[in-house]
Amino acid sequence: MKILLAEDTKDLNHAVTVLLKHEGFEVDSAYDGQQAMDMIANNGYDAVIMDIMMPKVDGITVLSNMRQKHNMTPVMLLTAKSDIDDRVAGLDAGADDYLTKPFAMKELLARTRALVRRGSSDDPSDKLTYEGLILNGEDLSLSAENTVRLSLKEYELMREFMRNPGRDLATDYLLWKIWNNEQDADEDTVWLYVSYLKNKLRAVVTVVNIKGGKGGSFKLSDE
Amino acid sequence: MENLYGAHYYKLLSFKDNLEQKISRMEQTLEAFYGTNLIDHTMGRIKSEESVIEKCRKKNIEVTPDNVVANIRDIVGIRIVCTFVDDTFKVRDAIREFDNIKIIDEKDYISNAKPNGYRSYHMIVQNEEGYYAEIQIRTISMDTWAALEHDIKYKKDINVNKELITAELKRCADELASTDISMQTIRNMIYGQL
Repeated sequence: MKILLAEDTKDLNHAVTVLLKHEGFEVDSAYDGQQAMDMIANNGYDAVIMDIMMPKVDGITVLSNMRQKHNMTPVMLLTAKSDIDDRVAGLDAGADDYLTKPFAMKELLARTRALVRRGSSDDPSDKLTYEGLILNGEDLSLSAENTVRLSLKEYELMREFMRNPGRDLATDYLLWKIWNNEQDADEDTVWLYVSYLKNKLRAVVTVVNIKGGKGGSFKLSDE
Repeated sequence: MENLYGAHYYKLLSFKDNLEQKISRMEQTLEAFYGTNLIDHTMGRIKSEESVIEKCRKKNIEVTPDNVVANIRDIVGIRIVCTFVDDTFKVRDAIREFDNIKIIDEKDYISNAKPNGYRSYHMIVQNEEGYYAEIQIRTISMDTWAALEHDIKYKKDINVNKELITAELKRCADELASTDISMQTIRNMIYGQL
């Protein structure tokens, strides 16, 4: 499970990072809103923990920006203020949870676990859509003009792309997320499965395609 | 057959033979060019009397040799079965280059499958004498599917839930199409074309 922690107070950022790592999470740290936005654009995270008050770009803007791009990664906001308006603005912008500073580390951990659980609880009847393309979890079908049935692995990979449209997903990230870093899986495996999906997208006749080459990052695109 | 098609029968037969020869030569040319045989097998037929009569009844056409030949465009039928999906389009492109053959119509049910899941590439062609023929191009798995679908469509006394069979056949068609593409992708990877 990979988490982005965006917090400009260096000591607090460091303390929370150490704690989350100790709990078994993989953690990336950002120290301002712009950095957080860049990291979100270039990686897939299972959850984002983010301060509202940050230099350059504030947390609510980063969050609104994510949701506008259909990035539904669960987000928990941290706020120094106990201001109700601040919390309402955060939740309205698409936050899944918030925590007021100062907080107990125990509570932060419990809320993070809940946040990550929420993100990974898959409703199998879920349908994901993107630009007229439909991925149906009930029968593993991919449809636009035509329909094809995917294998389970293809479906899991496609679901990851559909959840992160327009974002670069690195080969290493996909090996970790979809293949659980299995011994036999390597960049050839990822490339073959991405190629399956590229060709199947063409077969169902859609503008949606996957950009990127072997060993690099891949991105679901509608261009 | 001679009763139904009259004097046209031998013309139709020779058109079928002529197309089969052209396809056989094309097969050799493609094999020389790509270094591998794209076609698994080809078969041709003249439409049976009962099918023609049935079709005339549906289209409300009086059954005379001239009417039949002018209105039914798949009396001469050729089916080309390829190994891989991409090969079907290579074969199509080669047919478009045939001498003395006019392409009248094309329907791409591979890129746009019929609602029941049927996939195939259809071409209606015409020779200089004005006779029509239908050429169907598909992969082995599309051919397997169509064979079963044909059996079920024309078997009158099926004692099972027809809706279930239809839905399951559609599922198989979509799985086969998916597998066809996977096989093509693996082939491309083997040949360093990914």
